[in-house]
Amino acid sequence: MDITMYHYLFIGLVLFLMGIIGTMLVKSVVKVLILIEIMLLGVNINFVTFSTFCDGIKFDGYILSLFYIAIGAVELAVALYIFYLMYKKKQSDNIEKYNEL
Amino acid sequence: MINNPIIFYIASFLIIMSTFGVLFSKNVIYSLLSAIVVFFTGAIFFYILGSEYNAIIQAAVYGLAVPIIIGVSIMFTSLKKDTYQEKMIHYILIIASGIFILAFVYLLMMSMAMNPNTFNIREITQVNFFDVMSAFAKGIFINYVWAFELISLLLTIVIVGITVIKRRGV
Amino acid sequence: MQNLILDNITLTILIPLWIFLIIMAGRFFSVYVNQGVTNILTLLSSLFGFVVSLIVYKNIGYPLDWSITFIRINDFVIDFGIRVDRLSVILLAILFFISFCVQLYSVSYMKEKTKNYRFFALLNLFNFAMSFLILSPNLFQFYVFWELVGVVSYLLIGFDYEKQEKSNASRRVFLVNRIGDVALISAIIFSSYFMYNYAGNKTFVSLSFEDFNAISVILSAYTSQIIFISICVLFLLAAMVKSAQFPFHTWLQDAMEAELPVSALLHSATMVIAGVYLLTRLVPIFDMNGDIYRAIILIGIITAIMCSIMAILEKHPKKILAYSTSANLGLMFMALGLGNIKAVVILLIAHALMKSSLFLLLPHGENKTFSYTEFYCFCISGLSLCGLILLGFSAKEYSYILINNIWLKYLYTFASILGAFYITKLAISLYGNAEKGRKIKPLELISVLFIIGTSILLYFKIKGWQYSLGAPFYCSICGIVFILILEKLNLLSKIGNCPKIIENINNVQIVKLYEGITNLACNIERVIYSLNIIPKKILLCGVVAFNWIEVNILNRFIKLVAECTKMLSKLDMKMQTKNIQTYNAYAFIFITLILALIIIAYKLILGQVS
Repeated sequence: MDITMYHYLFIGLVLFLMGIIGTMLVKSVVKVLILIEIMLLGVNINFVTFSTFCDGIKFDGYILSLFYIAIGAVELAVALYIFYLMYKKKQSDNIEKYNEL
Repeated sequence: MINNPIIFYIASFLIIMSTFGVLFSKNVIYSLLSAIVVFFTGAIFFYILGSEYNAIIQAAVYGLAVPIIIGVSIMFTSLKKDTYQEKMIHYILIIASGIFILAFVYLLMMSMAMNPNTFNIREITQVNFFDVMSAFAKGIFINYVWAFELISLLLTIVIVGITVIKRRGV
Repeated sequence: MQNLILDNITLTILIPLWIFLIIMAGRFFSVYVNQGVTNILTLLSSLFGFVVSLIVYKNIGYPLDWSITFIRINDFVIDFGIRVDRLSVILLAILFFISFCVQLYSVSYMKEKTKNYRFFALLNLFNFAMSFLILSPNLFQFYVFWELVGVVSYLLIGFDYEKQEKSNASRRVFLVNRIGDVALISAIIFSSYFMYNYAGNKTFVSLSFEDFNAISVILSAYTSQIIFISICVLFLLAAMVKSAQFPFHTWLQDAMEAELPVSALLHSATMVIAGVYLLTRLVPIFDMNGDIYRAIILIGIITAIMCSIMAILEKHPKKILAYSTSANLGLMFMALGLGNIKAVVILLIAHALMKSSLFLLLPHGENKTFSYTEFYCFCISGLSLCGLILLGFSAKEYSYILINNIWLKYLYTFASILGAFYITKLAISLYGNAEKGRKIKPLELISVLFIIGTSILLYFKIKGWQYSLGAPFYCSICGIVFILILEKLNLLSKIGNCPKIIENINNVQIVKLYEGITNLACNIERVIYSLNIIPKKILLCGVVAFNWIEVNILNRFIKLVAECTKMLSKLDMKMQTKNIQTYNAYAFIFITLILALIIIAYKLILGQVS
């Protein structure tokens, strides 16, 4: 059995969905942040797959996924700092207590 | 790219299982460890898709740097277990995600059925390493140079911004 | 040498922009909060600009140009650059010098105010905009910085935007200035259009000052009389609004809500001279048609006399000075209409220096005490402004010599009598029954002394005593003597109640004029109605029909929409749970629904096609 493009796309989809469902179900803020990164990973796998299978010359998808990695890291750094500040106030990592700015 | 079904299925199994691990482990540290596995397996996916550079970056940033800062923040906050409650909305979510999967699969199938050449799938699956590298160079420094500069600016702004917030002592 | 001059000038006019950015960015990121650094940077930039423009003035021979392509659409090219010649360097030196003095003054004046860093940043931006305006090589760039000057003056006048009156006044100033802006841009577009269609050389479309002679020849040759005159009138309108000439002089009164340093800057070397400067640059166009010059002379002399009378009847000291600015600019217009550029420049310099020192000497708030130093400085500046001593004397006499019409001479002398009259009245009202005892702050005194000292130096530089004593000198003395006699006889207070007619013309009629124009433009319906184009019965039927439709259909529809919105908002209120994850879920569900809808629509469309 041969591996086609759709297998990779399906893996990307599953990662994205698990990430998005997880961000809605999980109550720990740190876990939510990790799951956001997993969502980004799913998106990146989609990009790279399309770039490999449909575009053999320019590889735009590779470069775009590189940018995504950078933006994801930046976003995670800011989010963790905000989480740290909020934790000092609330003394809890339950996302339901983070309901005001 | 490496067209080997065994590697693909092992990697898929690993990535999905460790994602479940992230979701369902009670302790945050264990879910962080599972997340490291997820990120490394993502790097393996990039590698077998033929993009070594992306794989290296993924392994370096997500395999090492991101877990370290998450771990540091977990250590700083010394998390304890909280009691969490479930809600009705979860069932709606699961239904919605089912619809989402169905919709996506349906879209894929339909696009395949409509015109087999829609996605313009290449016959040659072998990618030359040097081609990829030159494409990277062209992309970063010629085609997407503004996006690249913007990303660098963003990183600088984050550094400056965090320093400023720290100085103001929020 | 040429490169050296251009490099230095570019640097000089870009430094204020940098300092503006540094101050604002530094405050924004709170990298530094030191007031002293802000002050010193601002002062140094102005001083540097002054010194550089003096050196350039010494060394400059013929005009220097430097430009790069700014916009290119096929063969339509607009350049961006600078043009340095003697006139612009003189104005640049005056601008930077007065900016320096005013900034020195505001260091102590604005010390107690909150957010004064913004004030200094805006002063820098003002310098930048004005110096680029002065050095612009073509009319398009001129227009850009003309607008920028308007915007910055709006920000500076409304500096205390928390006070309702001040923010309203700044808005009024901005709106009146828009009339001039619209006139200027339409004139520029008109002439650029004619250049594009008729000129053989496509470089003419950018209307650069370098080849303005050729441009004006082509413009007058290829356009009919009416179009050429209307282009000239549009340019003239722009200059009139910016320089506060007769029908538009009201905005200067509104601008009086600003802080003292802002008024001093606005009225002397920056905002108001832009109009005069525009006219001096456009002299080649006006040369093609003598009527335009006559119109400029008429506008100038009418403004000079009208605004002097207003100033006599006014009581508020700042407003007296504002009217006096309009009047002096009217004299400049008149000198320009006589083709006497040198007199315009001397008048401009004299007025700029003296008016800024007069503004800086006004008491802050309702202060009734004064010091003798202040009084002497005021006397020197005031007498110079009405043409008795120093630079003002030279300017007044020099522009009087070249008047060739006897009636114009009479009017000019009358205007100078009135000028002496209102300045003396201002001095009496300020120092007449005040008590000694105020202590003037050292920095403020130094800045005023700088200005007066420079005017004395300039007087010796141009050998001001070479102009003979003429009619304006004696007439001004007559004016002063006359008002002193009135003061002795206690008649002065009776002048204050200004006659109804003049007040009407000034405040009521002009405001009504503006309102009428806006109403006319906005309310086309009323215009049609008043012209009786549509017979009244048809109109009535139409009104009844529309009324029915409105009551029975539109109102119900609106009610329905309101009900729906109410229900939706109630639903929305229930959905607001303050939980982040719920919002996330809503977003996800919505996106899923939209995706499903897209797929259904896609399939339906495909079914239709195949």
